[in-house]
Amino acid sequence: MNTSLLVWIILAPLLGAILNAGFYFYHIKKERVSDLTFSIIGTITPLISFLITLSLFLRMKNEGITFKQDLFTWLDIDKLHIGMSLLGDNLSIFMSMFVSFVGWLIHIYAIGYMRGDNGFGKFFAYFNLFLASMLILVLADNPIILFIGWEGVGVCSYLLIKFYYGKAENVIAANKAFIVNRVGDFGFILGVVTLFFALGEVDLSFSSMEANIANASSELLVLSGILLFIGAMGKSAQIPLYVWLPDAMAGPTPISALIHAATMVTAGVYMVARFHFLYSGIEEIGLLIAYIGAFSALLAAIIATKQTDIKKILAYSTMSQLGYMFIAVGLGFYSTGLFHVFTHAFFKAMLFMAAGGVILAVHHRQNIFDIAKHRAHTPIIKFTFLIGVIAISGVPFFSGFFSKDAILAAAFQEGEYLIWAIALFTAFLTAFYMFRLYFIVFVAPTKHDVKYEYTSKTITIPLLLLAIGAVAAGYLNLPAVLGGEHLVDTWLAQLKSTSIHMSHLTEWILMILSVAVAGSGIFVAYKKYANFDIYHPEEETGLIGRRFYVDELYDYLFVQSTKKVSTFIDKIIDDKIIDGFIMSSSDSFVNIGKKVSLTQNANVRFYATFMLVGMTCIFIYLYIKLGL
Amino acid sequence: MISLTSYAFVAMMLFSIGAIGVIARRNIFVIYMSIEMMLNGVNLFLVTFARYHFNMDPQIITVMVIAIAAAEAAIFLSVIILLYRSRKSLDTDIFNTLKQGEKS
Amino acid sequence: MMTDIIFIALAFLAISGAVAMIVYANPMYSALGVLISMLSVAGMFALLNATFLFLVQIIVYAGAIMTLILFILMFLNIKEEDLPKEPKKFKLIALGAVIMIPLNILILKAVSKLPAKDFSISSSDFGDIKPIGMQLYNNWLIAFELISILLLVALIGSVVLAKKRNSKVKNAGGES
Repeated sequence: MNTSLLVWIILAPLLGAILNAGFYFYHIKKERVSDLTFSIIGTITPLISFLITLSLFLRMKNEGITFKQDLFTWLDIDKLHIGMSLLGDNLSIFMSMFVSFVGWLIHIYAIGYMRGDNGFGKFFAYFNLFLASMLILVLADNPIILFIGWEGVGVCSYLLIKFYYGKAENVIAANKAFIVNRVGDFGFILGVVTLFFALGEVDLSFSSMEANIANASSELLVLSGILLFIGAMGKSAQIPLYVWLPDAMAGPTPISALIHAATMVTAGVYMVARFHFLYSGIEEIGLLIAYIGAFSALLAAIIATKQTDIKKILAYSTMSQLGYMFIAVGLGFYSTGLFHVFTHAFFKAMLFMAAGGVILAVHHRQNIFDIAKHRAHTPIIKFTFLIGVIAISGVPFFSGFFSKDAILAAAFQEGEYLIWAIALFTAFLTAFYMFRLYFIVFVAPTKHDVKYEYTSKTITIPLLLLAIGAVAAGYLNLPAVLGGEHLVDTWLAQLKSTSIHMSHLTEWILMILSVAVAGSGIFVAYKKYANFDIYHPEEETGLIGRRFYVDELYDYLFVQSTKKVSTFIDKIIDDKIIDGFIMSSSDSFVNIGKKVSLTQNANVRFYATFMLVGMTCIFIYLYIKLGL
Repeated sequence: MISLTSYAFVAMMLFSIGAIGVIARRNIFVIYMSIEMMLNGVNLFLVTFARYHFNMDPQIITVMVIAIAAAEAAIFLSVIILLYRSRKSLDTDIFNTLKQGEKS
Repeated sequence: MMTDIIFIALAFLAISGAVAMIVYANPMYSALGVLISMLSVAGMFALLNATFLFLVQIIVYAGAIMTLILFILMFLNIKEEDLPKEPKKFKLIALGAVIMIPLNILILKAVSKLPAKDFSISSSDFGDIKPIGMQLYNNWLIAFELISILLLVALIGSVVLAKKRNSKVKNAGGES
């Protein structure tokens, strides 16, 4: 049914962004505007979005309806009709619920984290703009509007990564993020275009595409499936377009928490789920997606075991968990994958925020061994960090266990034993490196005098709220084998995902296996790192420590070759050939002019001579004309 | 036996030689005198045709021309004196600061 | 008969005086050539019944203008080496001759097409001083007055131009 509330979910943060931007200009041009103004505008608007979403959710739960809103027609050319319309069905409301809630909490966190920064107002303007773009992405009714949000989050990610633009490497990292994303976006646009041609040029909204998908030729559908997934590869940091994610940690921690953990990077998973009608028909591509997800998860986990920057470890763990989500949606288990998105948002955002709190407490050090050497006593942060690490490792009773276990069961059920084995080994590595991180930062013995460091309430309260979520979110989709009701799976029934139905015995065996694997990971980490000598720190050396030299490989293959081609075109084609041609044609005019100007030699007799010559010519003509 | 053509021939010769003098000589005095020569040629033409048609008007015009030539002589010679004072030379080709192209 | 010979002699003198003007390097010789030419032209005026103009030509042209030229020439005290060197004089004269030939041909051809008339000296008072006076003060009065103003302007102009400037301007005027 139609409603006019949907657009306000997006407009609230958008207006907040514009207001904050206006106030920020005033702040830098005329008078100081207090941080409080920016904070209030910046945090009220996500709350408004969340409350609207919540009210729509309750109505949908009680009445079983979906919402649509048509704002205006954007393009209407022949068979192509694109309307600016928003769709509030179960999937979109599900996504926007946790996006706006986690977003709101991180906005509150950012008040404390960014205190005292000169660009405080600018930060909140960009942050609200990001939230608005993400909500456009999630609430879109057709892939073009989704792409607007897709691009919007890319731009805001760029703007926020280079927030500390005084250091050149931050700007370079932002450029890298944007450019690698762009490669993905190119694939996405081509995918949408292919889909448009494949479907015989119908109205592009998701519902009409779903109805008409049977008419399309399967080769074109395969092609568009691949191309759309390239977009997801870029946005969600899978192999091969993942290289931007670790560098994106150059931005402030709140944005690492929101953008690169909870929301933007899950846009790829959302997109695959949204196009479920497409991917259900082309199972080979789904299998490809699952394999790419599996290998990305494995690669990221291997690299993370040797990293020493706290945020980079968390970045690689994000990439790894995204791989899990793609395993699920690739094999057709859309709701399972989205359930992992949901739980991951809570514990990953919390982990990043806690890491930010730690960084603040030790006065901006990010190397885990340095942090240990200057450790401060921060009880709440330590507690929530421990909860997050336990959740991500897949320990029972915490949310990560339920979602990760569902994915492992899905892989096993489909008979993809290789994927299942990779995922299981990655779970071992995940437990290992996350606990390595925890032990070194908080537990390993240090000679430093550990003193209590105060952290403000704006940091600790969101952390505690998310901790509750990290534990409780898992119970929303308890599988039947444990006596639960699959609430999330039922809610997302529209996606027609494959459901997990295997004998309860198999499920119990798989669960015990994954718990054992997680436990052994924790045990190995404990043996190695609980009493680690932090004064002989590990360096980032060796093949794994240097991240398999992928960045260097890309630089050699793509950057250098493009640079050579560009230099060639610039220096030779542009300068010599084109410019030379134009300049030579203008130079020829100048030379002719120089020759002609020699007639102006200020010699009066010369001028008189030529006047006479001219007259003579006239007289000759007259002579001939008069026929004398 | 003398006809219109003979007087016309003499007048044209004077005029042409005056024009040649303007083109060919660099000395400023000679250029001036060539100009006067041209005026003479034209005067001769005028008077010839006055006699040919028995009309007084060309003769009056000739009087005017002679008067103007006298005025012109005064100014011309003052300018020659100025030019000689500034450059100490009678060569007309050395006054070329208005030259475009390569400067000498 | 006599008039023909006189005419031929005068014509010869006029043209050779003109030629002398353009050929000689020394300006004094050129000035003397011009003088001869002008006197010959005055003679031809007399042959054409223009007696007043014959007088005016001698008095103004030969007597005033050429005298002025010779005066200035001698005033400037030009030495042989100060004269401009004219290496290409004869080539340029030839070029000028080539340029002027078409005009000559055209005019002579045109004039020869006119009906012939008798050019012997007429006995009427055509060209005498009284008829000229009558014409000048009746029909051509305005032109006459304007000529007198012109002569006044020329007089003032030449005095202004040749005046010695004061030191500041003279320094500026001293350069090219």
